[in-house]
Amino acid sequence: MTERPKNVDTLIWFLSERAKELSCLYKIEELLNKPDPNLADICRGVIEAIPPGWQYPDICIAKITLEGHSCQSANFQETPWVQFADIKVQDKKVGRLSVYYTAEMPHADDGPFLKEETKLLGTIVERLGHYLLYSRMKQAYQDYQSARLDVAAHKAEEWRMALNFLRQTNKNLFLGISRRMLNFLSWSGIQEAEKILQKSLAGQKGRTAGYPEDDNRPYQVALSTFTEKLSDETFRLAAKHLTGEQILVNIQKWIQEDRLSFLVQVTNRNLSLTQVVDAIRRYHHIAAEGIELPAASKRGVLVSLIQRFLSDQPEFIHTAVDHVEIDDFYEILDHIVFSPESLGKLGGKSTGLYLAKHILKRSAESLSHFGEIKVPKTWYITSDGLLSFLSHNNLNEVVEQKYKDIDQVRLEYPHIIQTFKNSPFPTDIIQGLSMVLDDFKDQPIIVRSSSLLEDRTGASFSGKYKSLFLANQGGKQERLEALKEATAEVYASTYGPDPIGYRAERGLLDFAEEMGIMIQEVVGTRVGHYFFPSFAGVVFSRNEFRWSPRIKREDGLLRLVLGLGTRAVDRTSDDYPVLIAPGQVGLRVNVTADEVVRYAPKKVDVINLKTNSFETIEIKELLKKCGEGIPAVDKIVSVYDGQCLRKPLGRAVDFEKDDLVVTFEGLVSETSFIPQLRQVMRLLEEKLQSPVDIEFASDGQSFYLLQCRPQSFMEGGGPARIPKDLPKESIVFLANRYISNGSLPDITHIVYVDPESYDGLSSQADLLAVGRAVGRLNKLLPRRRFILMGPGRWGSRGDIRLGVKVSYSDISNTAALVEIARKKGNILPDLSFGTHFFQDLVEAEIRYLPLYPDEHGTLFQESFLRDSPNILPRVLPEHADIADTVRVIDVAEAAGGKVLRILMNADLDEAVGFLVDPRIDPPLAPLSKEMEKKRAENHWAWRLEMAEHIASKLDPGRFGVQAMYVIGSTKNATAGPQSDIDLLVHFRGTKKQRQDLMIWMEGWSLSLDEMNFHKTGLRSGGILDVHLVTDEDIANRTSYAVKIDAVTDAARPLLLKDGACQPDRERS
Amino acid sequence: MGKEAFNSFVTAQFQFDRTAEWLGLDLPTRELLRSPLKEHQFLIPLRMDDGSVRVFRGFRVLHNDARGPGKGGIRFHPHETIDTIRALAMWMTWKCALLDIPLGGSSGGVACDPHYLTLREQEQLCRSWVKRLVHELGPQVDVPAPDIMTGAQHMLWMLDEYESLRGEKVPGFITGKPVGMGGSVGRLEAAGFGLVFALREALKELDMSADGATASVQGFGNVAQHAVRLFEQIGGRVVCVSCWDQKDAVSYAYKKEPSIEVQALAGITDRFGGIDKEKAAKMGYDVLPGEAWLSQDVDILIPAAVENQITEENVQVIHRRVRVIAEGANGPTTVGADRTIGERGILVIPDILANAGGVTCSYFEQVQSNMNYYWEKDEVLGKLDVKMTSAFNDVLEFAKKKNLPMRNAAFSIAVARVAQACKDRGWV
Repeated sequence: MTERPKNVDTLIWFLSERAKELSCLYKIEELLNKPDPNLADICRGVIEAIPPGWQYPDICIAKITLEGHSCQSANFQETPWVQFADIKVQDKKVGRLSVYYTAEMPHADDGPFLKEETKLLGTIVERLGHYLLYSRMKQAYQDYQSARLDVAAHKAEEWRMALNFLRQTNKNLFLGISRRMLNFLSWSGIQEAEKILQKSLAGQKGRTAGYPEDDNRPYQVALSTFTEKLSDETFRLAAKHLTGEQILVNIQKWIQEDRLSFLVQVTNRNLSLTQVVDAIRRYHHIAAEGIELPAASKRGVLVSLIQRFLSDQPEFIHTAVDHVEIDDFYEILDHIVFSPESLGKLGGKSTGLYLAKHILKRSAESLSHFGEIKVPKTWYITSDGLLSFLSHNNLNEVVEQKYKDIDQVRLEYPHIIQTFKNSPFPTDIIQGLSMVLDDFKDQPIIVRSSSLLEDRTGASFSGKYKSLFLANQGGKQERLEALKEATAEVYASTYGPDPIGYRAERGLLDFAEEMGIMIQEVVGTRVGHYFFPSFAGVVFSRNEFRWSPRIKREDGLLRLVLGLGTRAVDRTSDDYPVLIAPGQVGLRVNVTADEVVRYAPKKVDVINLKTNSFETIEIKELLKKCGEGIPAVDKIVSVYDGQCLRKPLGRAVDFEKDDLVVTFEGLVSETSFIPQLRQVMRLLEEKLQSPVDIEFASDGQSFYLLQCRPQSFMEGGGPARIPKDLPKESIVFLANRYISNGSLPDITHIVYVDPESYDGLSSQADLLAVGRAVGRLNKLLPRRRFILMGPGRWGSRGDIRLGVKVSYSDISNTAALVEIARKKGNILPDLSFGTHFFQDLVEAEIRYLPLYPDEHGTLFQESFLRDSPNILPRVLPEHADIADTVRVIDVAEAAGGKVLRILMNADLDEAVGFLVDPRIDPPLAPLSKEMEKKRAENHWAWRLEMAEHIASKLDPGRFGVQAMYVIGSTKNATAGPQSDIDLLVHFRGTKKQRQDLMIWMEGWSLSLDEMNFHKTGLRSGGILDVHLVTDEDIANRTSYAVKIDAVTDAARPLLLKDGACQPDRERS
Repeated sequence: MGKEAFNSFVTAQFQFDRTAEWLGLDLPTRELLRSPLKEHQFLIPLRMDDGSVRVFRGFRVLHNDARGPGKGGIRFHPHETIDTIRALAMWMTWKCALLDIPLGGSSGGVACDPHYLTLREQEQLCRSWVKRLVHELGPQVDVPAPDIMTGAQHMLWMLDEYESLRGEKVPGFITGKPVGMGGSVGRLEAAGFGLVFALREALKELDMSADGATASVQGFGNVAQHAVRLFEQIGGRVVCVSCWDQKDAVSYAYKKEPSIEVQALAGITDRFGGIDKEKAAKMGYDVLPGEAWLSQDVDILIPAAVENQITEENVQVIHRRVRVIAEGANGPTTVGADRTIGERGILVIPDILANAGGVTCSYFEQVQSNMNYYWEKDEVLGKLDVKMTSAFNDVLEFAKKKNLPMRNAAFSIAVARVAQACKDRGWV
């Protein structure tokens, strides 16, 4: 039935059809390229060119209408077999081209027409549209040029030309501008304008203008169908009310704004990152020409950029908008590693730093003599990089980790790290990282976590997620591997037990955590084969550890160290940073040379460029070896001659011979570092409207900001909410002077040194005995669950009457030190504020609380402390004689199962200690420290259990064992996750038995190590530490034998198999 | 507060009364010696850095200057009272007399807590203190020295103030100055070396050769380290030292036969005498519980750490071989333990004598400052040897003659010397 050729001929036919079409197109092109064609000629030409291009030329006819012209084939008649297309100029229809067949033909793609023919028709129509636009613009330009000469005399009319030009060249923009002019006029209160506006709305398909009466129905804003007629009316009106210049200025402004309209698209949240980057890049170049967005849209764009990259938190956005410009994002986006479809953010850490940087930048002038504050060069990986890493490696189920039991999380964590480290990154990211390395070259870098949760106020994730230093030395491939591994490890830390435990406690588990990454150059200089900053530290704008009543909270606190700031950020048990209150530089924690030296930093964190690793080394060694090379070292150290600490005179330091102590004396007293720091802190606090803490580092030349966030508190160290409705009888004390922040939710024991009774002790021996008793209680009572309360100055080195004589080791396990100042006559004694071991208290997070019971507004329930049963004689019979003075109260026993809860709030300058039933009234936010503590307690409990178990399995006859004891941390309940179990074996056997015993013990040791690994993730290759003592040792009390039946810290005997052998107690 | 409160001056007077009774001193002498000759108490208004004014109480007490110009420390302490100062001044009188140094005893201070004062405020306090006492002080009158919470810096401020008031250079006005600013070399070694000089004499008395004598030492700070060093030089062997471990918050004893190596051990020790446990273990030391130092099988025990270390409870563990205890620390032995030690016939070099090297060197500093000529270290330490040796022999001889414990003998000699000086001057 069809006439279409088939099979072999199909190809021939197909090609000939295409040739016909092309020849048609060429004809039309020729037509349009003629010099000065007129529209009628063109129309005619098109009608003639079409039929030969179609499949059935003989029965093909065409018709065209174009801007008032009309033309058709000679034998034209309308038939039902038609296809047509509209001719448009700038989306506006200006004509139509139709093609007909005069007879019915077989069915093809589109009726009888081929799809190629439809396409050809479209092309012709489009070509005609373009031609028309071009010729119009050419005309308009000529008009404009000639008109300009005309109106040079009356400039006022210039706008008309501009408008006319616009009307002819870009109708949409023309109408848009007309519409804006109309709005402008009506907002300026011109009544006629409103009428036109009504009219324009009335033009909307019969909708009534004005506001809808039905409140429940959303008001449908009429889409603008603004006509040229209305536009003419508008500008007539404008000419009446505005000067020509005003109109021109507005028109120009709106045209410019139109150029930036592309930027508004970034408010679309689903826009891919590539597009956003393009838009910002384009803006960066346009903005350089001085073109600006209107304030409102600018804010809109800015807000959406902030939301997209920085934070969703309304408070944050509110602050950030005032300090950040759109163009500022250019710099971030230029340093971002991303997959093209990324929708991620930069994460909390990056965000805080970024905002602080711009606040400081915008206030540069007000920071009088502060040299430039720098931020190290930084690259970012967006937070969803983690997700694409996971899906790239099919690791998505790791997200469920957070819902598992914490012990299991701990157990699986090492495997997660390994898996992550061995998983490839998506290609986009690898390319990005490679680019990052090209940028940093072989400068040491740090890979820092920057998670989404980190920027949520109230959650302090400091130290929970990993940050890793990379020496970044060696070949490119090697460096890239290291960077990938570090990134993977930081990613893995999202699923570590610490952050998950912390999130569980804070109810943040369900939050979809994502992890952004900051790759930052490490601030510092190369000294020898080490790399580190000259000094670094943290500053808190509020001082929570005041060592003198003259220091106000607002004076702030600076923790300063030599080298990498890690030692200032973290609390280390065996070392100290230098503490300074920037608002009271003169009042130092340590006063005498002896104190200054004792509490000076002893170690320094550095990057070893030779071994490619992060290291902690002795400052003494470092200064000796390469002190000379450390920039600004003369501002950092003082020379100690055994008596006197002196600032070095310039560079006249003998690093070989001099005894050098890190004091920062030169930095503090000879440079404007501290005043500058204060200024920065004040500025940040003011702009961010919250106390802040910052991390910084200096290479000896410039000050680098490394981090800025709302002031964090140590866990359980934030201001506590003080309940107002406590029954008076439940309150043990209420204090209102020199209060710091913190909460101690469940204190089980109170050691109360009765001030009056202490005052009444007449012999020095008794007074000393009080200190000794406290020291012993410190070892006996549950760590961090008891408090010490007593008169005057604890640890005072002067007159013992003024306070209990203790050293730090005597109080190291207390949760708080409470000093009581009772009035004596008219004199209110000074308290020590813990000065004698202040830095130890700070590092160990022991709270200090001064009580002034005779002051107005306080409360002190002495009777509870005095009349509750005293368990001292029971726990320390040797000190029963001073039971009148030293009272140990088991809170649960004295108050029917209750605990003492202490809540401290520095903002209110209020603290309260009250009795509460923990079962009925659990602490508001369970503190993670508590959990840590419980874990810590477990460390010894299971160890002791196992020690007992081992003893019960030990056959004394087989191994020649007389008795077995447990000593050390397991016995003292101070064992940590890495502690050994110290066993003391009274051995009477042969050499062979000794060998057998040690092998037997070795087996236990390895199994226990495995157990410990399952509990803590730590492995040490054996956990038992077995000490053998002989009869001779015991007789001579040499070696560990002194522990057996010792007065203090005695070994704890263990029951051997079948209870067969009891410890040898000949002497007792 | 019905009971008589504990008071260090009362204790010091009680100690004196007992000695005076034993010596059989006449009443006027007792009356003269049981109280200070001169006392100054005054107020120091101080303009603080913030513009406010605070008033502090200052003190200077001269207990006795019959044997020479007063000598004694200045302490800054918040609860300084006149009684503490009186007791300290009296203690200085006895100490100088025992060493036969031609000085009297005094003491002073300001009731303040330097922790609450800026350096500028402390400087003003030092200068004001000197201004108030300019006529009561001087190299021929009364010579201050550092004490609790004052140091070389404070001494230099005071010296500078004194010199500017007098319009002349007076380096002998004060001691405790840094070397090069009127201080004496040998100061660091003085206490430890002084102890060994006395110890050497004690061994002679017991007919023991220092060569091969063994010792166990508590503490490894400045005093102990220098004592060990010199003890080795004279042929002794130290087999065990104990020290406080800051990190573990317990003390450990480090033992090595035949002898510890002081130089190597000092290399792994911090400024406060804390030995690095891990490194010591690696170097082959046995790491024992801290108390182990006391039970060692040695000839000599040197407690050179803190007070109250040998008590009734642990005195029994002292090995029967021990012949000498040299008290490097202040008051390391409690009264109860002292009795047992006496019964066992152990020779005790009491703290007032054993650690007098420091005071002696301070006297040498003054002498050198007055001459404005400074000795080499050998000369300082040589003169120290002479002083310590003769002081020890004086005490020993007296103890033997009068059949007194060394501690009581030392005290009696001191009081007797001061009483004699008062009489020679015709005061009583």
